Amino acid sequence: MRVELDNLTKRWGDVTGADGITLDMQNGEFVAFLGPSGCGKTTTLLMVAGIYKPTAGEIRFDERVVNQVAPKDRNIGMVFQSYALYPHMSVRQNIGYPLKLKKTPADEMEKRVQRVADMMGIGHLLARRPAQLSGGQQQRVALGRALVKEPSLLLFDEPLSNLDARLRLTMRSEIKRLQLDLGITSIYVTHDQVEAMTMADRIAVMKEGKLQAYAPPNELYEQPRTIFIAGFVGNPPMNLFDAQIVQEGKRYLARRQGFEMEVPHKQGSRAVGKGQVVVGIRPEDISLAQNTGITGEVFVVEPLGRDNLVDVRIEDLHLFVLADPRQPLQIGDPVQLQIDGGKVQLFDPETEYSLLWT
Amino acid sequence: MKSEAPATFTLHSRLFRAEAHSTFLILIAGPMATTQILSEIQDPRTGRGRWLLLAAGFVLLGCFFLPWLRFVITANDRIALSLTGLQAVTMPPVETTDGGLLYRSSPWMYLAPLAGIVALGLGLLTLRPGRSAPWHGLFAIILSVTAAVAVWSVVTAAQEIAQKQKVSVEVQWGLALTFMALLLFLISGLVALRDAGAQQPTFRAALDALDFMAPGTVLVIVFFVLPAIILFILSLTDLSSANFSEPWTFVGFDNYRRMFSDRFFPKILRNTFQYVILTLLFFNVGLALLLALLTAHVSRRVGFFFRLLWLLPRITPSVVYIVMWQRIAQQPPYGILNQLLGWLGVENQPYWIPEAPWVFVVLVNGFVGASFGMIIFTSAIEAIPADLIIAAKVDGAGDLALIRDITLPLLRWPLLFVVTYQTLSLLVSFEYILLLTNGGPGLFTTEVWALTAYKRALQTYFGSNQWAYGAAWGFVLVVIGVVLSVLYLRVFRFNDLVQEPKIDVL
Ligand SMILES: Nc1ncnc2c1ncn2[C@@H]1O[C@H](COP(=O)(O)OP(=O)(O)O)[C@@H](O)[C@H]1O
Ligand SMILES: [Mg+2]
Repeated sequence: MRVELDNLTKRWGDVTGADGITLDMQNGEFVAFLGPSGCGKTTTLLMVAGIYKPTAGEIRFDERVVNQVAPKDRNIGMVFQSYALYPHMSVRQNIGYPLKLKKTPADEMEKRVQRVADMMGIGHLLARRPAQLSGGQQQRVALGRALVKEPSLLLFDEPLSNLDARLRLTMRSEIKRLQLDLGITSIYVTHDQVEAMTMADRIAVMKEGKLQAYAPPNELYEQPRTIFIAGFVGNPPMNLFDAQIVQEGKRYLARRQGFEMEVPHKQGSRAVGKGQVVVGIRPEDISLAQNTGITGEVFVVEPLGRDNLVDVRIEDLHLFVLADPRQPLQIGDPVQLQIDGGKVQLFDPETEYSLLWT
Repeated sequence: MKSEAPATFTLHSRLFRAEAHSTFLILIAGPMATTQILSEIQDPRTGRGRWLLLAAGFVLLGCFFLPWLRFVITANDRIALSLTGLQAVTMPPVETTDGGLLYRSSPWMYLAPLAGIVALGLGLLTLRPGRSAPWHGLFAIILSVTAAVAVWSVVTAAQEIAQKQKVSVEVQWGLALTFMALLLFLISGLVALRDAGAQQPTFRAALDALDFMAPGTVLVIVFFVLPAIILFILSLTDLSSANFSEPWTFVGFDNYRRMFSDRFFPKILRNTFQYVILTLLFFNVGLALLLALLTAHVSRRVGFFFRLLWLLPRITPSVVYIVMWQRIAQQPPYGILNQLLGWLGVENQPYWIPEAPWVFVVLVNGFVGASFGMIIFTSAIEAIPADLIIAAKVDGAGDLALIRDITLPLLRWPLLFVVTYQTLSLLVSFEYILLLTNGGPGLFTTEVWALTAYKRALQTYFGSNQWAYGAAWGFVLVVIGVVLSVLYLRVFRFNDLVQEPKIDVL
């Protein structure tokens, strides 16, 4: 099913939950709503589900405006962070509840519940109550309940946030796999950018009720359109600092106290003469070099396992750098930094928009 | 007066049975408990001391209870109770200066408890946390209390007998020693309990739970159990204003016999059930649930307003409230109802309350009762997680299905509470009926149990307070209430509701 949100807005008095969200989803697409908590993801999702009535704007399912359609008539499956299983019903009754409401015949209901439960790997737990299940099992039941009526749209509201880290990884790939197999259009709300990056076809980044960007994960990563996206997407986060872009002959230089680096013509020409700009560079695009580059001093070393995250101080500037853990680094050691100028991002500090991508 | 052979006394048979009973208990329990306690509280590492103490405890306690044994053996309905029965080996009575006979307690009487104290003292001195079971301690405590009561009652009996025979009995010292021994018993019991608590985690938990419940338990005992006991005792007497100047006596279950054979007893019973069931079903639970659901589904402010409105009957003083109802039901031109009917062209209306007394009894009580359940249900409905409601709506539930499948099942606990609580409060409430119909019109038309109890015990016409008879009515009501509460807890499977979840890993 195609889903279109057109200038979708929700207000309660002077509180704004969602502010003019416009985006469209293709049939079978997996879209993530990404943003810090309180940015309006749930609000938008609940408008799509029909729980909240939009203050303004339209929701269209396959060109049909559904603003006035009751949730029960939208054919939606939904999964919650809290699982939201009915505590007084067994697993069988929980999964079968949407079918029961559709007055499905008992034998067909039994068959479909069993099939979905087997698919979720909880076929042996049908007689239990939710309180007798672990968190992971409960979330599988919730998924089964959302899937059993073969919905045309699946909504996930931070479904993995209550699970432990390992289980989160397993469930992440399971959900992704399931969505691919079934081809159901899905909206996946999360505040975890890794989840959004790994699962989604397109990500809608939200901040304070507004849509910041709507793009595939790699585009968000490589061409962040705002400072917020640059800082929010990617782990460890991008280094962001003020500098001035100056032209010296044919070279463009980003310069600040104790720091100077060359920026390619393509980027530099767009920022030159704009005074202070915000420079963004990812930790993985900086490397430690020998006898060449910018001189700094090791401030903190955080071992991440595969890499070390090194906080390098250059005067009053701190840059995070990914380094090989085999390289012995002590606090206070002098180091040289080599920066891949081609990967530098430049932002206007006033508008917070990128100077490179629009 | 010359000293003679021990006199023969007659003991009141009823009194005697009670004493024989407690004495018997002590006979069996005494040595058992003592050896248990002694073996438990002394250090298990000094094995010989253990057996020694055990034997000592057995023998000495045997001595201590020997007099009681004699007492029982010589006793029958018209017993020949020699004072030796009470005091082991009697010393010859001594003539007092005023001509009476003074029977002294035998030295044995002092020796036995003294030895008991020494044994227990030794036990306490060698006390170490050993292997104690909770019931040892409980046993000791129960034993000491029972024994104290028994000793006291027998001594009183002896004194009474002695008084009638114009002899005096000197038992104070023996008595004091006896009670001291029992006190030690009590302490050792408590110690054993504490030790058992230290060793057994489950029992420890039970003790902790008792600690937490203590304030509540004390309140229940002081304000429910004790009054109920007093009520019961009162119901066995003939206390009434008719014979108030004479000393009252116990009359056994006469009051109960009289109550159950009352001509109007079936009527009152039926009325009570009718009153409780109708009011409960239609108002205290039914209307309350309806109001809670309705006010929860409208906007917050409107909901709040309506809930407030329904609280009005409860906060109106009962007399004012009833007068308002009477005004509503009055004949023309006073009654509001009839005035409205008059405008509609219906003339010659009666005073409605005697016409349909039951309708009014239920309405009047129901309008007051509904607000309680309404508030409980409302808060329970608002406590249902929003996600559950959203999930059900998305799953395809309309408003009715939502209430039927989600809200109502999740209200089971508040429903249990309201049904139980309101059944009991309806059972014992009568003030609105008293003010509205006073059980009438006619004979016992709307008279309920609690109202009868009140009238028999406390309502005075021609100075006819039958406190004891009213107490019998009241006590049966208490029993019915307790039985109903237990039943409710069973029916609603209260234990399931408080069961802990069993979590396993994926
Ligand atoms: N029912 C509501 N009434 C008033 N304000 C709300 C309501 N629901 C959400 N909000 C507000 O809307 C904003 C967005 O909330 P939400 O969509 O839940 O954020 P997210 O899901 O992204 O964490 C928050 O500021 C929140 O306080
Ligand atoms: Mg949320």
